[in-house]
Amino acid sequence: MSAIDWAIIGLYLLWIVWDGIRLSRDTNKVEGYFLASKSLPWWAVGLSVMATQLSAITMTSSTGQGYADGMGLLQQYYALPIAMIIIAVTFVPFFRQANIYTAYEYLEGRFDLRVRSLTALLFLFSRAMGTSVVISAPAVVLSVMLGADVATICVLLAVPTAIYTMYGGVQAVAWTDVKQMYLIVFGLFASCATLIAGLPNTISVNDAMQLAGTAGKLQAFDFSTDPSVRFTFWTGTLGALFLFLSYFGTDQSQVQRHLTAKSDDEARTSLFMSAYWKIPLQALVMIIGVLMFVFYLFTPPPMLFNRSHDDRVRASARAGDYAVLEQRFTAATSERGIAAQALANAKRSGDSAAIAASKDAFLASEQTVKGVRAEAIELVKDVTGDRSYNDVNYIFPLYIVTQMPVGLIGLLMAAIFAAAMSSIAGELTSLSTSTVMDFYKRWVRSDGDDAHVLKVSRFAMLFWAMFASLVAIWAVELGSLIEVVNRFGSFFYGSILGVFLLAIGWPRANSIGALVGLVAGMSAVAYFTVFTSVAFLWHNLIGAVVVFVTGMIVSELTGPRKA
Amino acid sequence: MTTMQRTYLRVGIVWVLTLAALYAFQVFYTR
Repeated sequence: MSAIDWAIIGLYLLWIVWDGIRLSRDTNKVEGYFLASKSLPWWAVGLSVMATQLSAITMTSSTGQGYADGMGLLQQYYALPIAMIIIAVTFVPFFRQANIYTAYEYLEGRFDLRVRSLTALLFLFSRAMGTSVVISAPAVVLSVMLGADVATICVLLAVPTAIYTMYGGVQAVAWTDVKQMYLIVFGLFASCATLIAGLPNTISVNDAMQLAGTAGKLQAFDFSTDPSVRFTFWTGTLGALFLFLSYFGTDQSQVQRHLTAKSDDEARTSLFMSAYWKIPLQALVMIIGVLMFVFYLFTPPPMLFNRSHDDRVRASARAGDYAVLEQRFTAATSERGIAAQALANAKRSGDSAAIAASKDAFLASEQTVKGVRAEAIELVKDVTGDRSYNDVNYIFPLYIVTQMPVGLIGLLMAAIFAAAMSSIAGELTSLSTSTVMDFYKRWVRSDGDDAHVLKVSRFAMLFWAMFASLVAIWAVELGSLIEVVNRFGSFFYGSILGVFLLAIGWPRANSIGALVGLVAGMSAVAYFTVFTSVAFLWHNLIGAVVVFVTGMIVSELTGPRKA
Repeated sequence: MTTMQRTYLRVGIVWVLTLAALYAFQVFYTR
């Protein structure tokens, strides 16, 4: 990467810290620090909600998935607008009228302190682990692309974010999210334009989409009813509905956003920004992956996208086998390019016999390319011992650093940094708020003045930033262990939603019902995760339903509203 | 119908139109 691109990344990091601090107001008051004095306009809150949800993992992993598997992942977002309407009608007025700082605070008023503390603890555990992944996942990819070690990238992501978040609280986070969102969207459109410009003169955008469609990359709807299939229309509309209700409706990192809005209606309107734009934005992300697939039909792709593994295999005793595979891969991709051009020409001519023949040739050559790549991946696994090797997350970053012009590389890398930092900032703020409001003020010292609470909040923010960064650095070595911890964290999503649904939807529910329901819900999700192949999006629905039904029955059996 | 109820309806209509457009896109390019 050139000095200009490094300079752009450096300038971005300096500017975002300066801008975050500059735009902070009333940060000497608790309400100003945690809730922006409930003064933010709907569009700023809406962009902040979207920026927090769109992490660097979305930019690197989803584009890679678009390249490898097509647009199937998009189905995961189909329920989001409906979830936003339900949240706007139910959760938003409940939370805002309760005059609270955290979502879990509401549960103390409705049930008791035990329910509040348990749900807040589950949130802190899962969100802290989630934050470390939000740091480590892009850090691993960026370290390979930028030639820096993982720890350096973790520090570059976490330290600037921690500085402006600690100083400016939720206001700094929201206003920097707005700028970061502009940069991310610019980066996505610039990538699309560069990919289209990089197609051969003989291939139009329509031809590109025809080729992608023939290769099965444009399947945005799968109506399969097999519960083990990860992304279908049904998992996306039913299973994911409960995931989004839980994430946007009960997760502190999102609830804190709509609590900062000027009014109930502005809070609702901010959610509808995601309702309108999330699916098109995610479709744009997936289309970038699809366009990369078409781009690499006509430009020789690397056999492996993770260059560090590529280098290790070349330096190993199996280098000879790898060289043979590379020769076969080059021949297969060349043949595929010719077949793709022939298919595009045939589609344009409208000759159905030529279309059928060239389609068969194209699909056969695509299978050959996939087969050689699969052999190369097996070779990498044998040489490195990394049985979970997967280079999907490296496809887009490698495209950026090898195919984009100087200047744009820096801007795109800055956009990936922005996506990571906006998510990290939102997570840190919510972790600090919950730590202070749900635990410190409730269990340790409730009479501290604003200055004292703010001092503890900034310390909590620093603690969580250091914790997440250290876990992120270790996560690279822990590998599959951190994945297990995160899967464990996903047990909570549907179950925590179930507790809130019980609180809002069953007037006679009591704290014993909520606690027993919570344990039953998490146990049910654990059972389905370990003993069945039911796709993970269904786990949210299962958790929420088990908590609600169990909580309802136990509450009816145990009587009064409070234990 | 209140302003907010009209907004909910608009979100629902845009949702249906978005999914319909995506489905039409899929059908057109995978024929």
